[in-house]
Amino acid sequence: MAKVFIYPATSLILSDLVARFGHQPLGSAISIREHIQTPGFDSPPIQMTSDDPQKGLKWAAVEVPSGIRGRMSLYGPLVEEAEAAIIIDEPDLSFGCMGCARTNELLAFMLREKDMPRLELRYPTSKEEGVTFVAAIKEFLKNLEGQQ
Amino acid sequence: MSEQPVRIAQITCGAEYSGIQNEITTAAETVGGQMFYPDVALKDVKRAYKDFGLPVKSPDLKLAIARAQAIVEGRIEADGIFIASCFRCAEAAIVRNELRRYIVENSRIPVVSYSFNERTGASTLLTRLEALTTIARRRSLMAREVQVGITMGVDSGSSTTKCVIMQDNEIIGTGWRPTTEVIKSADEVVALALEESGLKISDIEAIGTTGYGRFLVGKHLNADLVQEELTVNSKGAVYLADAQKGFATVIDIGGMDNKAISVNDGIPGSFTMGGICAGASGRFLEMTSKRLGVDITELGALSMKSEGGEDVPMNSYCIVFGTQSLVNALAAGYKREDVAAAACHSVAQQVYEQQLQEVDIKEPVIMVGGSSLIQGLVRAMGRMLNTEVIVPHHSQYIGATGGALLASGFIDKKKEA
Amino acid sequence: MKPYVPQYVGTVTKYVFVDSPNTTPQDIATAAYEIAQGVMIKETCFGCQITGSPEDVDRIIAHLRKLDPYRIYVKDRGFPPGDARRCRADLGGARPGYLGHEYEMGLVRYIAYGLQETDRMTPEELSAAAGREMPTPEALDIDILESLMKEE
Repeated sequence: MAKVFIYPATSLILSDLVARFGHQPLGSAISIREHIQTPGFDSPPIQMTSDDPQKGLKWAAVEVPSGIRGRMSLYGPLVEEAEAAIIIDEPDLSFGCMGCARTNELLAFMLREKDMPRLELRYPTSKEEGVTFVAAIKEFLKNLEGQQ
Repeated sequence: MSEQPVRIAQITCGAEYSGIQNEITTAAETVGGQMFYPDVALKDVKRAYKDFGLPVKSPDLKLAIARAQAIVEGRIEADGIFIASCFRCAEAAIVRNELRRYIVENSRIPVVSYSFNERTGASTLLTRLEALTTIARRRSLMAREVQVGITMGVDSGSSTTKCVIMQDNEIIGTGWRPTTEVIKSADEVVALALEESGLKISDIEAIGTTGYGRFLVGKHLNADLVQEELTVNSKGAVYLADAQKGFATVIDIGGMDNKAISVNDGIPGSFTMGGICAGASGRFLEMTSKRLGVDITELGALSMKSEGGEDVPMNSYCIVFGTQSLVNALAAGYKREDVAAAACHSVAQQVYEQQLQEVDIKEPVIMVGGSSLIQGLVRAMGRMLNTEVIVPHHSQYIGATGGALLASGFIDKKKEA
Repeated sequence: MKPYVPQYVGTVTKYVFVDSPNTTPQDIATAAYEIAQGVMIKETCFGCQITGSPEDVDRIIAHLRKLDPYRIYVKDRGFPPGDARRCRADLGGARPGYLGHEYEMGLVRYIAYGLQETDRMTPEELSAAAGREMPTPEALDIDILESLMKEE
């Protein structure tokens, strides 16, 4: 079982397919869950505090807006943990955790820069493309097993 | 608080991830407001994005556009709107500015715009959200145009404390002191104003307080109205400038921060408050006068001896660098009056760049606060905006006057009680 | 600042979505309740949310997937169900993530078809299908597109 970073990190489709084919999806929910389940100072809704953008300095410099650094503090550790990545490079309508285009650019770059198997594709727009989409992901994930 | 909370629509990008969402919520609750996310569906986002025509990349900014549109079109009701995004994000700054303009032009809902970072705390947001809830909740109070009875206003500012006593729509007593201890300074200015008016404190029928020390002074004086300075100052400004009807822009360059308020019929529509650094505030002019060896009250006259000092290299983006350029300019042999004018120009420029971009400048432009007595600063601002800036009489007492004016709304209530 | 004491520590929450002519969200929730054994199930308009130990949640999901293998989709969630910090009723509006679900749920019919078709494929057929043109993220440059159209 490989740890596969999914991009958009909030994607239901990618999360489902990765888990369905026997691997562990790494996405926003994993980091948010960690925040929600860790005691500390109360900072609803997602229990992020000013410490989180500070942690984000590891991946983005101080002149980068706080919201990007905060988001990078969610994603940075997951990218480091990831053994593979699936990227849909058109997450135009991913809100919230993936709601910032600048963060998404940096995140996509980090995933591409890391030496690991990577599949890049786009959302299907027809049933036929759905077959190609699922087949590509299935094949990619199957090959990960071989590599492991 | 027994009143219904004021419903403030939150249109933000990055607040949760900057770790400050709780600060926003807390600040709103403190002033009787309640933040809510305008509920929109995906189709609304797609439509709003297309309609609005600003091709942003960030999905949360598209969502912001859809939320603003839902409010402006009346599909969602809101008493006030809080638009905010991460400091240093250019994409969001463009959206923030355009949405603010869109809301002001197409609705009467008050809006405040702000850029935050992870250090933004509830206390910073408090005054802004208080102004928003006041405008929403106290429209009838804000509509007052004539002072009645005998009332007093006290403005406890970061640099100075001011008091005004009014009777039958006239200012009959004033007091002014540098702020040292908040209550002591307030007591001093109240005594000065009472002396000038020939009245006793028991003659005063209602009291309003404003400024940083408003809560403390309000409690001390048992004030009827304790109100942040954004609404009170804008009310005082349009009252004194006789511009209570129609549009006006109020600029108040204070000792610690600056306010730029776009007013319509005496009620603030949009406003900004802040400033990156004291370099863009009256504090820099105080430093300048010290360095030039003149009293701050003489800085204006000195600066007017110069044509404007635009050729003197001076940048007060940061007060440390600003002071450095001040020293360098004097060392380079520039005349004192030119340096004084250059300092005025630099402060005006900072206010223009940092704040006036966030409100729509509509004439008349009214400058108020102690810094409005520095003629060089008023001239520089007028040149920057290409308009004749109005400085009303008693402009340094704007907050106190606004306080006294609005407080008279409480006289009738007291009589009824 | 107030201290924060988290609830449900050590649990996982997963969303189960269904988009099927044969299975309703209520069917999913009912089936989940039947084998819940104390695991928290919350019925929603799109299916249900399950909160419990990772093993328990996996057990229930494996069972649910069998009901309609190609049309049930599962995703992790950071919050436990009904959490006031995320609940629409408390926020006045949906949390931003909801719209993302709305977007992807518009596409899952293609995924369902893809899952069904690939299930029948031999490894060779799967490789062939995976290699088809679709997964090319680079959009055609507008100038190239224009020249191609002219050539046509």
